[in-house]
Amino acid sequence: MNSISLLPTVLVDFLGSALAIVLAFMALGYSRKLVRLEPDNFIWGFLWYLCIAMTVFSLSRGVGHIVRIVLVYFDQGRIWQQLSPLSGGINTTLMISVSAVIIYYHKGLEAYKAVRTKAEKLADANRRLEASSSELVALNTNLEGIVEDRTRDLSKSEKKFRNFFENSHDLIYFSDSDGTITDINKSGRAALRLGTEGEKINFPELFVDATSREKYLSELQHRGFVSDLEMECRGMDGSSRYILLTANAVYDGKGNIVGYEGIGKDMTRLRTMTEQLINHEKMASVGEMAAGVAHEINTPLGVILGYTQLMMDDVEEGSEFHDSLLVIERQSKACRRIVSDLLKFSRQAESAKSHINMNEVIEEVLAVLEHSLGLHGVTVERQFACELPLVYGDAEKLRQVFLNLVNNSQYAMPDGGKITIRTDCRAAALEIDVIDTGSGVPDEVKNRIFDPFFTTKEVGKGTGLGLSVTYGIIQEHGGTIEFESPVAGSGGAGENQGTVFHITLPVVGGAQASPAESA
Amino acid sequence: MMRQKKHIHTSYNCQVLGCGVLVGCLLVLAPESGWALQTHGAPEGIYVHQLAHVLFMAALGYLYWHTRKTQHRQSSGWRYLQVFCVLLSLWNGAAFLGHEMLGHLSAMDLINRGTWQEELALPFTPTKLVYYVTRLDHLLFVPALAALVISLRTFCREAERGGSV
Repeated sequence: MNSISLLPTVLVDFLGSALAIVLAFMALGYSRKLVRLEPDNFIWGFLWYLCIAMTVFSLSRGVGHIVRIVLVYFDQGRIWQQLSPLSGGINTTLMISVSAVIIYYHKGLEAYKAVRTKAEKLADANRRLEASSSELVALNTNLEGIVEDRTRDLSKSEKKFRNFFENSHDLIYFSDSDGTITDINKSGRAALRLGTEGEKINFPELFVDATSREKYLSELQHRGFVSDLEMECRGMDGSSRYILLTANAVYDGKGNIVGYEGIGKDMTRLRTMTEQLINHEKMASVGEMAAGVAHEINTPLGVILGYTQLMMDDVEEGSEFHDSLLVIERQSKACRRIVSDLLKFSRQAESAKSHINMNEVIEEVLAVLEHSLGLHGVTVERQFACELPLVYGDAEKLRQVFLNLVNNSQYAMPDGGKITIRTDCRAAALEIDVIDTGSGVPDEVKNRIFDPFFTTKEVGKGTGLGLSVTYGIIQEHGGTIEFESPVAGSGGAGENQGTVFHITLPVVGGAQASPAESA
Repeated sequence: MMRQKKHIHTSYNCQVLGCGVLVGCLLVLAPESGWALQTHGAPEGIYVHQLAHVLFMAALGYLYWHTRKTQHRQSSGWRYLQVFCVLLSLWNGAAFLGHEMLGHLSAMDLINRGTWQEELALPFTPTKLVYYVTRLDHLLFVPALAALVISLRTFCREAERGGSV
C-alpha cells in the first residue's frame, strides 16, 4: 500500500460540520432564553453575543465544509476554488469577532459588577428608607397613644414613690450638694420639728455631735454612702432626736456629686425606753439590796432602842446620863424612819389598800403643807378633774408620794413660785401631773434622781430617799412615774424652766369617786 | 444609572460588532478588490487566518483564566464553559497545525487532491501524521460546542430556579 485514504477525515468533516451547526443553534437558543430570563444580567448578554458569533462561525464554517464536500462529490471542484477564499475570509473574520467579544468580556464584567454593586447598595438603601419611613409613619400614627401611655406610667410611678415618700414613718430627705434640704417628707418634718416648707435648712448643721457630722460628710464624699450612722440631731425647737441614718450621694453624668438623699429612723422613743428599762432594772436591784439591808439593821436597831428605853427608866431624869440616853433614843428612832423608808421603797412594808379618791388624798396633803408653802411664797393651783375614778391603793403611802413631790417642788423654788397639780383620767389610767416653776433638773443628774440616797440638798438636810420611796410606792401600785425638765412649752429661758412629774395609776374598773368610798 | 450603564455597554458592543460586520462585508463582496492602497500577495490570506486562530486561542485562554479566578466557578455551568474554552483552544491549535502542515506537504504527498479519492502518500512522516490527525479537528470542535450547550443549559436551569450563578 503506497497511500492511505483520507475518506475518514472527509466523513468526520461532513458529520462534524453538521453537528456543529446544530449544537451552535442549540447554544444560541439557551443563551437567548437566559437573556430573556434576566435581561439586566451582563454575563448572559455576553454569552448571547458569544453564541451569536459562534453560531455564525459554525454555520459559515460548517456550510463551507459541506458545500466543499458536495461540490467535490459532483466534480465541481472549480466552483469551490472560487468560493474557498470567500469562505476562508468569512471564517477568519468571525474568529476575530469572537475573539474581540471575549477580550472585552472582563471590562464589561467589571463595569457590570460596579453597576450591580451600586444598584444593590441603592436598593438596600431604598429598602431601609422604606422601612424607616414605615416605622416613622407608624410612630407618628401612634405617637399620641405612646405619649399618653408613657405619661400614665410616669404618673403611676410618681404617685407610687410620692406615696411611699409622704406616708413613710421614717425621715426621708433630699439635699443639694451644699447639704441644704430640698425636699423632706412629713415624718422628717415632724422628727426635726421643721416649720414652713420654704425654710432653708442645712442638714449637716442639725448634727449635735461634730464627730458624727464629720463622719457623715467624709463618708459621703469618699465612699458615696453612709450606712446606719447613729446621730443626735437638734430639732428646730431645740429638742434632741436620735436618728439612725442611711444616706447616699447623688452623682451627675460626669461623676460629680450634685446632692444627697437619705432615710433616717427616729430612735428617740426606743432610746428613751431602753434607758427607762435600764433604770428600772437598776432600781429593782437597788430595792432588793435596800430591803436586805433594812431587815438586817432593823433587828439590832430595835434592841438598841429597847435597851436605851429600859436604861432610861433606871436613871434619874435631868441627869447628864439621862440626857445622853435621850440622844441615843432620838437617833435610833431617826434610823428606824430611814429603815422604814427603805422598806417602803423596796415595797416590803405592809400595805393597807382600799378604794381611794386621789383628789381627796392630794387635798389632804395640801391641807397640811399649804401653810408652810405660803410662808415660802409658793402658791398652789388645783386643776382637779370633777369625776375621777377610784384608785385601789394604800392611802397613807400615796399621801407620802405627794408629800415628797410637793416638798421637792418647794425646795426647787427657794424664792417662791407656783405648784400646779392636775388630775385627769384617760383610757384606763389616772394621770396626775405635779408641775412647778422651779430651777428644773440639771441634765447631768437626770438619770440619778430616783436613786436611793441621791440628793442635791446640803448634808443633813435630806436623806436622798424621798423620790426613791415615791418611785417604789408608784411601782407597788402598778403605776408609772416620769419627769420632764424643762417643762415642754414653758418657753422659759434661764434657770426657771420648771419640772413636771407625770404619774399614772390604774383605776378601778367603772368605779367613780363617791364620798362614801373615799378613804 | 443602571439603565444608563447598560445602554453604554450595548452601544459599545454594537459598535464593535458593526465594525466586524463591515470588514466582513467588504471581504465578502470584494475580496480581490484593491480596497487598500497597498496590494498584498496570496500568502497574506493564510497568515491572517493563522493569526486569527492564535488570537482566538489566546482569547479563549484568557476567558478560561478569568472564569477560573472569579466567583463564577461556584456553578457547574462555568466548569462546562471552561471545558468549552479548553477544547476550542485545542481545536484552534489543531487547525493552526493542520494549516501549517498542509503548507509543508508537496503535490506528490496528496494523491487525487480535490476529489473523493484523495489519499495521502506513504510513508508516514511526522508532517503527514500531524496533517492526518488535524484533519479530524471536528473531534475537538463538536465536543467543545457540546460543552457550551451543556454550560448554557445549566445556567438556564439555575436561572429558572432563581439561583445565583
